Amino acid sequence: MKRFTVLLFAIVLCLPLLNVGCGGKKGPDVRPSLPPPSRTEPTTAPTTGPAPTVEIAASPSSVERGQQTTLTWKAQNADSVIIDGGVGNVSDSGSVVLTPRESATFTATAKGAGGEVRASTRVTVVAPKEVGGVTSSDIQSIVDAIRDGRIKDIFFDYDKADLGAESRTILEQNARWFRQFPGAKLVVEGHCDERGTEEYNLALGDRRAQATKEYLVELGVAPEQLETISLGEEQPFSPGHDETSYSQNRRAHFAVKE
Amino acid sequence: MIHLVLPFILMAAGLFPAQEQDQPIVIRPPLTGVTNLAVVDFQARGAATPESDSALKVFNEVLWKDLQFSNFFQMRSKSFYPSTVVRVPQDVAFESWRIDPVSADFVLFGNLQTTGSGAVLEAYLYDVKTKQQVLGKRFTAASTTLVRNVAHSFADEVVFQLSAGTSRGVARTLIAYSSLKGGSKEIFVCDYDGANPRTVTANGGLNKFPEWSPDNSRLAFVTKLPAASRWEIWLQEIKGGRDVLPTVSSYASSPALSPDGRRIAFSARTEEAIDSDIYVMGTDGSGRRNLTNHSGIDTAPTWNPSGQQIAFISDRSGGPQVWVMDADGSNVRRLVTEGGHCDSPDWSPDGRMVTYSWQAPGQWKHDVYIVEVATGKIFQITVGGASNESPHWSPDGRHIVFQSTRSGSKQIFVMNADGKNVRQVTAYGINESPSWSGYQKAD
Repeated sequence: MKRFTVLLFAIVLCLPLLNVGCGGKKGPDVRPSLPPPSRTEPTTAPTTGPAPTVEIAASPSSVERGQQTTLTWKAQNADSVIIDGGVGNVSDSGSVVLTPRESATFTATAKGAGGEVRASTRVTVVAPKEVGGVTSSDIQSIVDAIRDGRIKDIFFDYDKADLGAESRTILEQNARWFRQFPGAKLVVEGHCDERGTEEYNLALGDRRAQATKEYLVELGVAPEQLETISLGEEQPFSPGHDETSYSQNRRAHFAVKE
Repeated sequence: MIHLVLPFILMAAGLFPAQEQDQPIVIRPPLTGVTNLAVVDFQARGAATPESDSALKVFNEVLWKDLQFSNFFQMRSKSFYPSTVVRVPQDVAFESWRIDPVSADFVLFGNLQTTGSGAVLEAYLYDVKTKQQVLGKRFTAASTTLVRNVAHSFADEVVFQLSAGTSRGVARTLIAYSSLKGGSKEIFVCDYDGANPRTVTANGGLNKFPEWSPDNSRLAFVTKLPAASRWEIWLQEIKGGRDVLPTVSSYASSPALSPDGRRIAFSARTEEAIDSDIYVMGTDGSGRRNLTNHSGIDTAPTWNPSGQQIAFISDRSGGPQVWVMDADGSNVRRLVTEGGHCDSPDWSPDGRMVTYSWQAPGQWKHDVYIVEVATGKIFQITVGGASNESPHWSPDGRHIVFQSTRSGSKQIFVMNADGKNVRQVTAYGINESPSWSGYQKAD
């Protein structure tokens, strides 16, 4: 009984911290966090109606990268329900299937005449099991080189898939890595900025990825080592709506195939 | 040359006289004059109960909105109606409905009785001048929550009767769209007025560009499953099973089923090619061949109603523009010559028009346009500061569904084909790439 009280107290203490962390940031919340079961804690506010309640849970709460989890929530006496982490405005109750890239805490905020409450749940993402064999060191070398920026992305002009001089220099450096570690399979992702329309952009992202692959193959990289995928305007690297962001989002990105 | 209004569509609607500066183009038998419609709130047949009251509230609201949105009627304001309660034809004093201020040509009324958990409705449409019954129908709803569907069915019958068969009514049609859910985009379907949204996919991947089969039983769309580096074309039954169609590389996009439902056109690229072409194959994946073979992006095919022609997007001339070809790939010609960026063409059900989105040179926003296929004449349909994209015709060709940022985030809207009467369909999250179903088959 006593241990229970202490735990509850700890939860109340942690809650404001958690809310601040989830407020404006887009990235995953990396602070140590609470166990998956949902909690409802009213914040202090003048109440003029029945207090809203909200519950949220993730099932399963731990997944390998690339696997799915289902987020389920239920609110009562709420005029609006918002879930952070890219889910956004939602109806009172429902569920959504997610494929989180990294561990993250999802917080549901329910607002009503009776005040505002939040509930959170944590999804832990673990690395997929080792593929093993002779290629694992190749994979690790390329993963490290991408992470350290020794293998770089290339960028494009608006509505263009042409490779400029700077892009060619970068691809020549990247090609040396890919040739040195042929066991690492790569996915060349083609990305576009949001100003174009979606159907055209999916084709344009494909052309950017193909142009990139074609040049790498000219430089001696085995075509079997390179897959391409267009992501159109689906996964922008920069969230802004100005040329600075747009220029960041018109790119070919290199990822190790999982 | 871009016109801001659509005189020929307004003419066809019978609502406005032809404008003198434009040669009127009659696209279907024009209706004669304005039809004034009085829609009386349906009443409880026996003693009112909380169940009958709540069912009537839904029914009356849905019926009014359906008829108003159909764009066939001048809806006469309820505040003008005589105060006498109308439940059955004997209650109607026709003269008081004919004269000012109601001035109705037709009056619509009826009653509802709850029976157990369901309801029985009697619905009537009368010609006020001749005092003759045009429609008299009895509907049974197994549950009071289904009175919404009864209202849609009756609205469609009224539209069919009073439009002289021009339209079978769109109140029972559906809209499919792609909806952002966390990191994934799933295909959803809702009623044409936004009610009853339900998910079609739940695979956690990116599901985009849904298009209906002509019999409304299936949706074609593209899918990139989580952790996959490949786009697939899915042909999914609304009620369950699916086929994944064979494609030629990691890129496939924009599937469109032919009017006979037997072929599918789509954008794809072979492993060797640098960019996309338009392909066609059987819906069983057989007989695949490319219709275009040109350097440049070719995407977003749309069939004309006879299945003889395909309009598509190509940037072979520079920016992406609307092009047309015969369904065997011959007779390729450019349809829109304005420059800028075009995308997402959709051929009208009567075959005369193609709607598409257009971005003027140097601008970031898109608007919905219509081009008349025979003349190349262009009409701007949406205006304002927001971006309006992905237009798709209703099955009666009188309305267009599209996505717009006008409410902040990307949402689905419907409007008359002249840009008026805009109604919001979705409000939560981010929703895009809408596709309007064909007419609902008779129940």
